[in-house]
Amino acid sequence: MLRLSLKMTLARKGRLFLTSLAIILGTGFLAGTYIFSDTLNSTFDRLFSDVFKDVDAYVRSSSFVEAEFGGEQRGSAPISALETVLSVPGVKDAAPDVQGYARIIGKDGKPIGADNGPPTFGGIASASVAGLWNIEEGRLPVGPTEMVMDKATAKAGKFALGDTVRINAQSGSREFAMVGIVNYGDVSSPGGATFALFDQPTASEFLLKPGFVDAFLVQGDGTVSDEQLTSAINAALSPADKLETITGAQITQETQDQIGAVLSFLTLFLTAFSFIALGIGCFVIYNVFSITTAQRLKENALLRAIGANKRQVVVAMMVEALIIGLLGSALGFLSGIGLSRGLSAMLNAFGIELPTTGLTIQTNRIVLTMIVGTVITILSAILPALRAGRVPPLAALRDTALENVGSVKRRVTIGVVAMLLGAGAITATAAGASNILLGIGVLLVFAGVLIIGPGIAKPVALSLGRPIEKLRGVTGAMARQNAARNPKRTARTAAPVLIGVALVTAMTVFAASVRSEVRTAIGDQFQGDYIVSSANRQFGGLAPSLAPELAAIPGVAQATGLGFTSVNLDGSGKFVLIIDPATASGLITFNMVQGDQSKLSANGILVSDTRALAKGWTIGSTIDVAMVDGTKKIVTVEGTFASSGFGGSYVVNRAFFEGTLNNLFDTNIYIRLVDGANSDQVYDALFGATTDKGLGTLQSRDEFIDAESGQINQILGLIYGLLGLSIIIAIVGIVITLLLSVFERRREIGLLRAIGMTRSQVRTTVRWESVITSMFGAIVGVVLGVVMGFVLILILADSGASAFSLPIAGTIWILVLSFIVGVLAAVYPARRATKVDIMQSIATT
Amino acid sequence: MILVRNRLKGMNNPPESAAASATNVSKIYGHDDSEVRALDDVTIQFEKGHFSAIMGPSGSGKSTLMHCMAGLDSLTTGSVSINGIDLGGLSDKALTQLRREQIGFIFQAFNLIPTLNAKENIVLPLSLGGLKGDASWIENVIDAIGLRDRLEHRPSELSGGQQQRVAVARALASKPAIIFADEPTGNLDSKTGGEVLGFMRRAVTDLGQTIVMVTHDAVAASYADRIVFLKDGKIAGEMFEPTPDRVLDYLKHLGE
Repeated sequence: MLRLSLKMTLARKGRLFLTSLAIILGTGFLAGTYIFSDTLNSTFDRLFSDVFKDVDAYVRSSSFVEAEFGGEQRGSAPISALETVLSVPGVKDAAPDVQGYARIIGKDGKPIGADNGPPTFGGIASASVAGLWNIEEGRLPVGPTEMVMDKATAKAGKFALGDTVRINAQSGSREFAMVGIVNYGDVSSPGGATFALFDQPTASEFLLKPGFVDAFLVQGDGTVSDEQLTSAINAALSPADKLETITGAQITQETQDQIGAVLSFLTLFLTAFSFIALGIGCFVIYNVFSITTAQRLKENALLRAIGANKRQVVVAMMVEALIIGLLGSALGFLSGIGLSRGLSAMLNAFGIELPTTGLTIQTNRIVLTMIVGTVITILSAILPALRAGRVPPLAALRDTALENVGSVKRRVTIGVVAMLLGAGAITATAAGASNILLGIGVLLVFAGVLIIGPGIAKPVALSLGRPIEKLRGVTGAMARQNAARNPKRTARTAAPVLIGVALVTAMTVFAASVRSEVRTAIGDQFQGDYIVSSANRQFGGLAPSLAPELAAIPGVAQATGLGFTSVNLDGSGKFVLIIDPATASGLITFNMVQGDQSKLSANGILVSDTRALAKGWTIGSTIDVAMVDGTKKIVTVEGTFASSGFGGSYVVNRAFFEGTLNNLFDTNIYIRLVDGANSDQVYDALFGATTDKGLGTLQSRDEFIDAESGQINQILGLIYGLLGLSIIIAIVGIVITLLLSVFERRREIGLLRAIGMTRSQVRTTVRWESVITSMFGAIVGVVLGVVMGFVLILILADSGASAFSLPIAGTIWILVLSFIVGVLAAVYPARRATKVDIMQSIATT
Repeated sequence: MILVRNRLKGMNNPPESAAASATNVSKIYGHDDSEVRALDDVTIQFEKGHFSAIMGPSGSGKSTLMHCMAGLDSLTTGSVSINGIDLGGLSDKALTQLRREQIGFIFQAFNLIPTLNAKENIVLPLSLGGLKGDASWIENVIDAIGLRDRLEHRPSELSGGQQQRVAVARALASKPAIIFADEPTGNLDSKTGGEVLGFMRRAVTDLGQTIVMVTHDAVAASYADRIVFLKDGKIAGEMFEPTPDRVLDYLKHLGE
């Protein structure tokens, strides 16, 4: 029997291929995600083990603040500690290191490197053997007007020795003479980052604070182990400097782990989408098995008649599923290699530039992909196989395979119950229950819709087909009837479209609502005429000195900077917004519930009303704050403001950081012009002082609001792209179903051709059947998606249901695209239908 | 499209007594050693207003002849014309249009589209051409098959005999130049088959239609005006005003 089922499986290569296709695409995405993230991880791992390969010990500040979304900000080390480190026995040499923000401006006036791309570093180039850089050309920089840069950046910017190079950093924008080109060990530029390097005093002053560096890189003389060296340095350091020493291996590991944590977020995100794709693939596989089982009624009945028992028929089907699962997942893994490149390109296109070199393929990923793919195929095949086993030996020999829809009433009842349960779970989440319940609720609603599907497929398909019948006459009528003749099949084929469309619609609805909420929030909060914004949100930004410079431009009435940093607030790392209350008034407006924003003192803090409520803070409450450099302060709540959800929860005065070692940058600078000023003239002056020098982007208030609210489009685009693969699988599902239907109806098509149906009419019939099927999925999907989007807003948006806005254009687009999907999916099956051999299909003997 | 129509019309003009004719038609399957001559230089005409039958043992080429004359199968050599139109050189589109307008078909089984009701099946060739047809003629045909009360029924709700009567009505609906019937009663019991054959007979006698029927049933063949016998791809003989007994005798003689 095993050999028989092997033979029967392999005898139908076409069917084998079609079924495999769904699993290939599903597992391909999963494998692609794995390969992509493994490659990314190993690229970074290699990068950092390269960076620290000659570092035996690493001395840094022991005080740090954990940032709210992972990562940490660490304090600085006084340069005076270098002497101490050098005097420790076993230390061959030690070099100070700064990893600051420095943006090199190209000869065309544009900054080199993308805003959201690899970091742009500023650092120290020293002669010490413990330093990271080797001179390739020229010499080391000396004094406050000289710099060197890495070879790759020099090449990219076409810089040569002797050139004057403009660099933007925390302390402002300055020009330097380029005196050398350096290499990073053997690498010209690690990870695509750019490096501008100075001597230590210049680097400290320009990038950090005079007299301070970020760390010391220590090279041992080989007489003691790294661990012994580390503890010897630790013992020698002055406690007052608040420093700690770790081994080179530890700093390598720590950096790799930090990057790994960020990357695992991305991997999780991608994996979620690949599981959506797999789930949709499941439907396609289940559908194909169901159809082929129905079509194989005769074959299975014959097997039963000649003595095969139920179990053997079922086993034969399962063996087929096993073969398809193994074959499909193996091919899926191979296609995943290509897909991983595609993912990389797609993330690049959405501004997430990640260096990937080589290809990391792990055996356990291959095994995992194979297992997931095969198990999913087998699970999808169980129901159809059991159904095949129930075929009576003397099954009626029918011409067309028909699958019976059980009681419609029962179906709808079960479906509605599932949906109600799901709705209940979602409501519970809205009322504060765990998010797991939300997931279960969404799944239940989906399940309910899918269970009801076959029950409503017939009436829906018939009414969708009515205009087509009006339009196309008899071919339309036949398409309509064909779509409705097998409700189970139509519903199952439409299911992947339904799921894909529902997710896309939900995201669109959610994004549209968030967008309008962002617009209102930003519009309310920020007034003024112009805004200079920096895209470097995580690392670096605009120098705090820029805002006063702009305020001094004739025609400018007021300019104020808004920055943010991380501090340890009430025991955990938090983002705090930094304003200058004296200049902010009228430009940055918080919707104050209590207190006065312009009276914010140096040791005061404004807290959002929701946080204040949650923490029990009122005016006059005190909160402990620890800064990156270890400075501990106590702040007093001086006001509360209505949280907009996008403006942050804590606001402090810039003076709060006076005299500390925090790296402060402004993210945005808001500008108001003098009434009646010649705005063109002032704009030109502002432009010259900012964008023209590579310092941020100068925009009018409206432009800025558009850009900010448009940012969600970028994320939306990425999500659309990732859901795109699910849509492709849905198309493949329709193609497979249509092909099988055409195969099944070849006699009917032959008859139609004989009595006068032209080839183009045959095509029309298949095409409209496809369109009806995809539109069925799309319409139900849109309805479900709008409801889901509404629920998402209800749960996630601060302003609740009032934020809901229905993107009518977006919804129409989704329906139009689904229509196109239907037309595209029908192309190949329709062509196959026109090639039906009339003679063969009408032959009776 | 206009070109094709004109061409069909133009060639329609000269009066022809033959509804369909085949001239030196050969049909060869396979190549060289495995070559099978399904039709070997066959020349034959089917007159308008006649009910003809084609008979012959299995593999004699009777179905092939019918398929070739109906424009369903291609010829190896020779020419075929329907109502004076040479089928040679017609495009697939033109051939399809010709089948729709000039030819009616009745097959042994699976004659009707399961998703359409009886009425829709009857007018299907007309609807495919975007035509309404001659309403009173269609009403006559529907009355003649006696299924007026079953017009809204789908094929699965009709008996085998009723389905074949609907098929006959469909073949007649467009008033074609010729109707080809391939074993139309092969799947029916003799009583039901008799009804269908009687109806076909009346279509020729009373309504002036032309029918060519392939059959291996002597009783069915005896409804025809003329029988053409085929053997080994060649015409082996003819018989006019046949009776079942004479047909059986002839077939016995043919088989030897």
